[in-house]
Amino acid sequence: MADEFGQQLIALLPNLRRFAVSLCKSRDIADDLVQTTCEKALANRQSYQPGTRMDAWLFRILRNAWIDRVRKSRTEGPATNIDDAHYLIGQDGAAVTEARLMLDETAKSIANLPDDQREVLVLACVETLSYREASQVLGVPIGTVMSRLARARKKIMGELGIEDGDKRSEDKEGFVK
Amino acid sequence: MTGQRFSDETLMAFADGELAPDEQKSVEQAMETDEALAERVALFLDSRGTSQNALKPLLNEPVPDDLTARVTAMQDGGANVTAFPQRQSPPTERRWALPLAASIALVAGGLGGYFTGISSTDQQQDLALDLVTQPAIITALNTVTSGEEKDLGSVGRFKVIASYSDASDTFCREFEVDRVDRSTIVAVACRPEQTWEYRFTVVAGQSNSGYAPASSLEALDAYLDAVGASEPMSTEAEDAALKSIN
Repeated sequence: MADEFGQQLIALLPNLRRFAVSLCKSRDIADDLVQTTCEKALANRQSYQPGTRMDAWLFRILRNAWIDRVRKSRTEGPATNIDDAHYLIGQDGAAVTEARLMLDETAKSIANLPDDQREVLVLACVETLSYREASQVLGVPIGTVMSRLARARKKIMGELGIEDGDKRSEDKEGFVK
Repeated sequence: MTGQRFSDETLMAFADGELAPDEQKSVEQAMETDEALAERVALFLDSRGTSQNALKPLLNEPVPDDLTARVTAMQDGGANVTAFPQRQSPPTERRWALPLAASIALVAGGLGGYFTGISSTDQQQDLALDLVTQPAIITALNTVTSGEEKDLGSVGRFKVIASYSDASDTFCREFEVDRVDRSTIVAVACRPEQTWEYRFTVVAGQSNSGYAPASSLEALDAYLDAVGASEPMSTEAEDAALKSIN
């Protein structure tokens, strides 16, 4: 018997899953993360403020759960080392799923971005969070969100061969906020 | 090359409609006469739609039935997980003077965020760090008011002792976590930007009372003095501070 909160949670599962896959590049781990996120969200639902974006609130929980998992895997030793896990993705047949992620060149470019740039790109451009909302999800200042996001976007557009002409993008002159 | 007057971040914010009105106007004006600048803006505009299209298939993928079923089941059993018993907090005179034994591990001053490394291999300290980076604690820091106590399940019982601002006017909170194994962590977390940082953490070893040993609290008091902590905030000031971060 899902109330409105629960219904919204179910409705957002595809978005949570997409963000989770973009973080961990594995559907199995992503589904696990989404489940953990929902558990935490239900247990802490009183901290959600109605009227604010529920997806942003859930993304923050999900990302914290991911960080937690990565950190634990580091302290627990090699058994669940996340770097190994990435290799395993390619070995156990899950490579197929990653190939699915890389549906086209852009998706491939996005997958190849550094983690910190990929997550902000997905949040701001794909999930359409504002810079402020993204900064709250990621726990970094807005200026950091903007610089990472700008780099990510230039990178994926550059790799698609539509970067503007004369590399002025590398130029650090001019005023920077 | 007038385009160089604007940083990538400024042009991106313009493309995203996130620029302040006056800045927006100056970019608009410049774009009228600077084609290269308009191209740079177009690149940021295009990148948004391009990214969305690229990851659209992932959104359209069916969510595995068993995942949906598990999340639905969680809600059906939700009464067990949604309502934390809210214990009335005891009168909050500082409990520091309680005489207690125990091994104290001074974990750190100046611990950074999630990935802070510490040189010590002391398992207890690792456990403490593990604890204080739990999302539940972060959520509690954002919501629980001073004197309030909250059961965080396997994490333990979370209590905020007081909120205050430090010398640089940063919002800080002093809190305790009584863990299931009866040890207590006393910590100070501050929020200089958008994220909590642990500034001070003490692990009080096994104790029967659940209260932190007095000696660890002397260290805490010394720390608070050193950073120029204000008097504890009033309820109203704390409410306002919490509202501003949520």
